[in-house]
Amino acid sequence: MAYKRRKFLLIWVITAAICLFLFLKYVSPKVFQVLMAKGHPMPTPSTLMMWYMIMGVLAGLVYATTSNQKFADFLGFLLPDSGPKIKILLQKLLFVGFPVIVGWFVYTWSIPGAASPVELRIQHPTLPQEFEKLDNPFRQADAETQRKCIEEGKILFQTYCRPCHGSKADGNGPFANSFRLRPINFQDPGTIATVVDNYLFWRIKEGGPGLPTESTPWDSAMPSWKDDLKDDEIWKIIMGEYDTAGVMPRQREKLE
Amino acid sequence: MNKKILLQLTKRSTFILIFLLFISFVSSMSLFQKAFAAEEAPAQTSKEGGVAAPGVELPQFDASVLAAAPAAVAGQPATGTGTTTAAVEEEEVGPVQYRTFFGIDSRVVVWIVSELHLMFAAFVLGVPIFAVIVEIVGFKGGDIKYDKMAKEFTKLLSAAFATTASLGGLLGFCLFGLYPEFMGHMTNVFAPTMYVYALMFFGEAFTLYGYYYSWEILKGTALRKWFHIMLGVMLNLFGTGLMFLTNSWATYMMSPAGIVPTTGKVLSLYHAMYNPLWMPVNIHRLIANVCFGGFVVGAYAAVKFLGSKSEEEKAHYDWMGYVGNFIGVGALIPLPFAGYWLGREVYSSSPVMGNIMMGGAFSWTFIVQAILIGMLFIGANYYLWLGMGRIKGSERYTKFIKYLIFVIFMCFAVWLTPHNLPLSGEERAMIGEQYHPFSKYFGVMAAKNAVVNLIILATFFSFLIYRRSNKGELAPFSEQGRAGKIGIFSAVIFCLLMLVSYAVSLNFVELEANIKSFVKPLIGALYIQSFFICFAAFLTFKNKGKLAQSMLFAVTACIAVLYFWYYGFQVMQKANLVLRYLSVTQVSIVMSCLIMNAIIDIFMFRKAKLVGGIVWGKMPVRSQYALILLCVVIVILMGLMGFIRSGLRMDWHIYGVLQDTSQWAYTPTLSYMGRIVGLIVALFLGLVAFVFWLANLGDKKKSEKAEEYEDAVVGYEKH
Repeated sequence: MAYKRRKFLLIWVITAAICLFLFLKYVSPKVFQVLMAKGHPMPTPSTLMMWYMIMGVLAGLVYATTSNQKFADFLGFLLPDSGPKIKILLQKLLFVGFPVIVGWFVYTWSIPGAASPVELRIQHPTLPQEFEKLDNPFRQADAETQRKCIEEGKILFQTYCRPCHGSKADGNGPFANSFRLRPINFQDPGTIATVVDNYLFWRIKEGGPGLPTESTPWDSAMPSWKDDLKDDEIWKIIMGEYDTAGVMPRQREKLE
Repeated sequence: MNKKILLQLTKRSTFILIFLLFISFVSSMSLFQKAFAAEEAPAQTSKEGGVAAPGVELPQFDASVLAAAPAAVAGQPATGTGTTTAAVEEEEVGPVQYRTFFGIDSRVVVWIVSELHLMFAAFVLGVPIFAVIVEIVGFKGGDIKYDKMAKEFTKLLSAAFATTASLGGLLGFCLFGLYPEFMGHMTNVFAPTMYVYALMFFGEAFTLYGYYYSWEILKGTALRKWFHIMLGVMLNLFGTGLMFLTNSWATYMMSPAGIVPTTGKVLSLYHAMYNPLWMPVNIHRLIANVCFGGFVVGAYAAVKFLGSKSEEEKAHYDWMGYVGNFIGVGALIPLPFAGYWLGREVYSSSPVMGNIMMGGAFSWTFIVQAILIGMLFIGANYYLWLGMGRIKGSERYTKFIKYLIFVIFMCFAVWLTPHNLPLSGEERAMIGEQYHPFSKYFGVMAAKNAVVNLIILATFFSFLIYRRSNKGELAPFSEQGRAGKIGIFSAVIFCLLMLVSYAVSLNFVELEANIKSFVKPLIGALYIQSFFICFAAFLTFKNKGKLAQSMLFAVTACIAVLYFWYYGFQVMQKANLVLRYLSVTQVSIVMSCLIMNAIIDIFMFRKAKLVGGIVWGKMPVRSQYALILLCVVIVILMGLMGFIRSGLRMDWHIYGVLQDTSQWAYTPTLSYMGRIVGLIVALFLGLVAFVFWLANLGDKKKSEKAEEYEDAVVGYEKH
């Protein structure tokens, strides 16, 4: 068995790469569908698929070259010698299959087709410095005032933001499905919990139209609220929004 | 025979592979160009044209009240004013803000020269640190081999020093010539330190040449040798002092302090120097220089190994390459921690800059950085695994390699998964929300911190199995004598001091009650680790050192990787102020595991029987290409990180104080950055190769003369 494992190292590496491909292509979308209680599979994005496959193949090659013996066995599989019938069969399969797979990849990449371009998005556009120095005036107030502001903010949030962002701030508002890019789920720890209050103030006030030119086109359908809401109302909405989502804004840290 | 031919073929193909990797880095940057294609055209347009700069939105902070307001752009050479009269008229209008270098983009000139200077300086400052340590090891152990190698390191150093100084001079002239107003400000603030810098440079030069040229003279007695070592220590002190001084200038540009921002009036030179980012950059660069020096020396040894004609020479350079890699990896392990600290302080000094760095315009450069760091860890581990082939008895441990590969590559996958994936419209529609689960759970800092700690633990494990490959039956711990007991006790006390003192200090952090409750699990984790450190020492005394090590690895992985991965998400959601304590706790726990396990290993195997010897020189050629790859990767990494550190200032010379109003005040696109960094890397590697070749010219001549002399003697005897 050990002999076979050594002599068939190339086949094992190829098998592992195929298994990884199948996992990413078919298993993981289903697993995430179940785990996240979705009504549809969650396909692995093509960029990620490519990166993970490159790493999988690289891992196989690294393993196959960690000793001279392994390396010789790995390459030796391709050499003609008197091995078991299965080896000769696999060799033929490899010599035919490899060019076919390469050809298939070349064909699928080169045929003309209509697909929207892959966008290199930037998560947090640069906050203009005029907003950096701002402070939420209600965060420094006494506990009772803060509580009051949060409650007022929650009402404002349900009035203005709920249609898209949802009553639980989870991005599942009644209009959410009508957008190509769904509204953000604020409960996700990687969203509003990673930014300071002022960042939200800027986003609410300026909305999608106020986004900078970098990495355009932006898909944000967020309206600009500066003509409809007063600054105080926006600060209160921010407080209510964090409270509804159950997360905290990033705090300014003291320098050591 | 056929296999041999195939193996021969792969030797050449490995070289081609490394070359292609370098080329692919440069060209991969061009792929990003597509995403930024829309901005590429305006990128070439000057600000005066009224077109927004590409890549990023320009900050608007107090621009109107600053001395260097956009109106003052008139100081630049205007279009069509190439005549002497125009230039004279312009000078009469006001002081010159910017000049060009024969019409070339001034920023690119300064970028290339400063990066090259920095790379040479990193080598010149990093190598003496370990050259002196190697010399001390050789002196105390009585092994001439170490002394010879330390001298060879220093030979490279003296050759690179002159180039560093020349580049430094060129950089100074470029800065003063091309950015006179900016340098005027810097001189106004830092003039006294500039004189100190120049004086310290004398110290650096005298001690370096003294250290190198007195090597043979100061041999013989212990006193002489200690004096020589002292020269090396002085050299390091001068070098570190020089770096700290220049770091204060560079970090002042990112987080200025000690001045009145609107007028530039100096209030406190001390605060301008000791600005918020000074110490994090000092520590990060100090470690990174050692890492850089280690890998460059490793590559030098690899090239010499590949060109070696005798077995003796091969053995020497194989060993030198191993030491270079060992130093590089040793410094690489704490580097992510220092980098995290620096990153966190960048965020603390300016949340905007922090956001630009990790979530904004520079976030994609961090994905490239993740790939490069992953390659460093994989390359270093790969070299260790290949190195096991030259040790008899290593067969007992090679079975672990496949598990290590699995763990390291899995971690690497998580490490480079971005939070925001590049998605097509169709994919976005199919996923149906902002984040794919992979990016949602792998893309945030909690996951990254967890996996980088696991990679570090796995790399350390690789080193342990490499170390014990040659060792057989263990001697009982009681035979280790007092040294063993003192060693283990010292390690326990050190670890406990680190863990318990931090746990105690966490009780006193000033946080709101609801946030402070998130600190308690960290305190608990520190105490649990402390308990297991003591328990590991107890087991070692009971001759169960291997069990102690396994237990420590398991406990550390459970706490610092698995539990903190989960807990990191909790903290991110509810109490992000606790993140800084969480990361320090994580680091402390991992470091305590590394320290304790290393000490246990040293004493456990001290008197172990040797299974077989290490056959230096018996290394496959691909291992040497791995060393060269490590060097190329760390050089690219340094080029990339230099761009990030400097670019974070956006369109400010001095962040928030002195605005860059030149036509190059835009953040370059990734593809443009890739091309420039690629050029810098190629220039540096070419220059280093040339300088090292020059350094070896003398030796070549000597050996040729010796050969001629021997031939003459033989000929004379024949006659």
